Amino acid sequence: MESEDEFDMHDANDDEDDDNDDDFYSGGDDDAAAAMDSDEADVADYEFIDNDSDDSDDIASHRHQQNYTVLTEGDIHQRQEDDIMRISTVLSISNVAASILLCHYNWSVSKVHDEWFADEEKVRRAVGLLEKPVLDYRNAKELTCGICFEAYPHDRIYSAACGHPFCNSCWAGYISTSINDGPGCLMLRCPDPSCAAAVGQDMINILASVEDKEKYSRYFIRSYVEDNRKTKWCPAPGCEYAVDFIVGSASYDVTCRCSYSFCWNCTEEAHRPVDCGTVAKWILKNSAESENMNWILANSKPCPKCKRPIEKNQGCMHITCTPPCKFEFCWLCLGAWSDHGERTGGFYACNRYETAKQEGVYDEAEKRREMAKNSLERYTHYYERWATNQSSRQKALADLQQMQTVHLEKLSDIQCQPESQLKFITEAWLQIVECRRVLKWTYAYGYYLPEHEHAKRQFFEYLQGEAESGLERLHQCAEKELQTYLNSEHQLVKEFNEFRTKLAGLTSVTRNYFENLVRALENGLSDVDSHGACSRAASSKSLGSTSSKGRGGRGKATTSKTSSSNRNIDDTGHWSCEHCTYANGRRLWVVPLKLLVDCGGGKDKRPRKVVGEDISIHD
Amino acid sequence: MASQASLLLQKQLKDLCKNPVDGFSAGLVDETNIFEWSVTIIGPPDTLYEGGYFNAIMSFPSNYPNSPPSVKFTSELWHPNVYPDGRVCISILHPPGEDPNGYELASERWTPVHTVESIVLSIISMLSSPNDESPANVEAAKEWRDRRDEFKKKVSRCVRRSQEMM
Repeated sequence: MESEDEFDMHDANDDEDDDNDDDFYSGGDDDAAAAMDSDEADVADYEFIDNDSDDSDDIASHRHQQNYTVLTEGDIHQRQEDDIMRISTVLSISNVAASILLCHYNWSVSKVHDEWFADEEKVRRAVGLLEKPVLDYRNAKELTCGICFEAYPHDRIYSAACGHPFCNSCWAGYISTSINDGPGCLMLRCPDPSCAAAVGQDMINILASVEDKEKYSRYFIRSYVEDNRKTKWCPAPGCEYAVDFIVGSASYDVTCRCSYSFCWNCTEEAHRPVDCGTVAKWILKNSAESENMNWILANSKPCPKCKRPIEKNQGCMHITCTPPCKFEFCWLCLGAWSDHGERTGGFYACNRYETAKQEGVYDEAEKRREMAKNSLERYTHYYERWATNQSSRQKALADLQQMQTVHLEKLSDIQCQPESQLKFITEAWLQIVECRRVLKWTYAYGYYLPEHEHAKRQFFEYLQGEAESGLERLHQCAEKELQTYLNSEHQLVKEFNEFRTKLAGLTSVTRNYFENLVRALENGLSDVDSHGACSRAASSKSLGSTSSKGRGGRGKATTSKTSSSNRNIDDTGHWSCEHCTYANGRRLWVVPLKLLVDCGGGKDKRPRKVVGEDISIHD
Repeated sequence: MASQASLLLQKQLKDLCKNPVDGFSAGLVDETNIFEWSVTIIGPPDTLYEGGYFNAIMSFPSNYPNSPPSVKFTSELWHPNVYPDGRVCISILHPPGEDPNGYELASERWTPVHTVESIVLSIISMLSSPNDESPANVEAAKEWRDRRDEFKKKVSRCVRRSQEMM
């Protein structure tokens, strides 16, 4: 059966993706170019020039062994128990004492070991683990509580290791106050001000109310995650998992079991390829009042009399400030209107201003206004595109949800396919969601890419443009073309199989393109430095120039690749390049070039608003 | 809780009436309210405050002794650790637990072991040795450090006024 064959073939390709990561990332350029038809020479630009083999090994190994673990509350509890057990065994102390020690040293087992064996006395003093009681009342019949001064029989008096006697109701009050005060209760000491003896969980368990014990153990669990340098809570709202991260491994991006992806380092949402510092700056900028200030600076002038900012959005140069000021002045020279008239140029010009400008009087203020205006427009440009991709991503997530809950089942009925064979659709949508995220952050990246690095900027914008059109193609295929099969009355065996091949191919090439894009941006576009400004020379790039870029040592990879890319061609002649986002249909696929990038630079029109109540009045 | 607090305060009041402590006297502001105390602190001998009679109100929270009372002088008092409105600022009157600012150790802060007696004794010791490092009254602290004569003059004025009020 044709459909079966094709599916198997596709599976084989998938397997190969996993097994041959190394080739996949590093060796591919040559045969990507080799497979390229000369008509589509510019497609060669999808590839990345400098795929250094060490990097690709890194990435390959990341894919295989995760550098983090998602922990449930049960896992956290288990780890906590294990650590306590280790400490108590090695130091021959009770579990309670071991947990007090660990709390004190931020749950670092090695730190506890180091400190303890360096100076046990000192550690005991600091933490409040007394070896013998300060007071010994074992033989007394009756004891006086140190808080309420009532006398109690022996069995109603409790004390920490120090022996200071307090009655159980005073203890209960003391412990409850401390627990309700916050996580400090984990370091509770004897109520006697001169005494540092630690009050551990054993006493809490005897003396606290059920509710307080509950709270205490919450703090205890939280302490393991929050004070531990290796673990953090997943920041997604309502998520109760924590992530344990192997510090020192390359990428901080982690994905929690709740499906939220975030940066382990700064706990903002995942933001590769942009670094944490840039993300922080960008987020601050997006929320900062400074942009309002910039807007006011760029688009208004202060009234020369009352100094309120005034925006002139139309009309002539004769401005009357709003009451109570009501000052009448000339917009250009900011002088009183009473000095103006026919001889100064009338309502639409100002000779005084022209003369003064020629003498250079207005230059500085004008320049500042102009600069503020430019910088604001530049920011708006990047921000809008950042935000657009953000909402596209939200939309894609919703679509994915819809797909998984409703459409897949329907599709499975119409096309007589088991749902397990429709995974390629979910994968395509997951890829779209991921790509939108990357694309979004490339706009923050672009905003902070220095203006004077022309070659880099050009290269960057080119890569970004290609990424957008590639993603657009995938999105189109997953959204529009799928509709045909969802809405059709009967099974379309052949067409559906072609669709499967195409969408799976597009998903895979888009994934590769974006992974390469991320790496190129993380490397600070260093290709541009080593290859000069020639990176943009798409049309001049030929087969020859690609293979001449020192790829001699990659013979093996090239051979194995050639064979694998052959396998991507099916009997309809439909094939997709594995190394770029290009998919070749039977007819030439129309690429909607640079959908978002080509927006006309800073020319976009943002709705202008009146600043506060400071409106200008023209006559 | 409230009943534990009032029982404990009643007990302390009885003890203080039976065995008065040198240096201060204590009673209730209003006989029906055990949570508001009026104390008179006698300026400790051999200090600038010697001879003065300073009145203060101690207000206890309902969860005493787990939380500290607040103490406020009603007599005028010029001192680095007394706010201009009369509130006393000493570490044992601060809520328990570690100080978020890291200035005070947990052991210097409130614990339920403290009594009216130990609080007043702390205030008396504060009168004899002001702490100018974290002052409540910055002006007074500066004067105490840099212009001691000025400081002495203001304190003796307070002492004289407190005697006239008696």
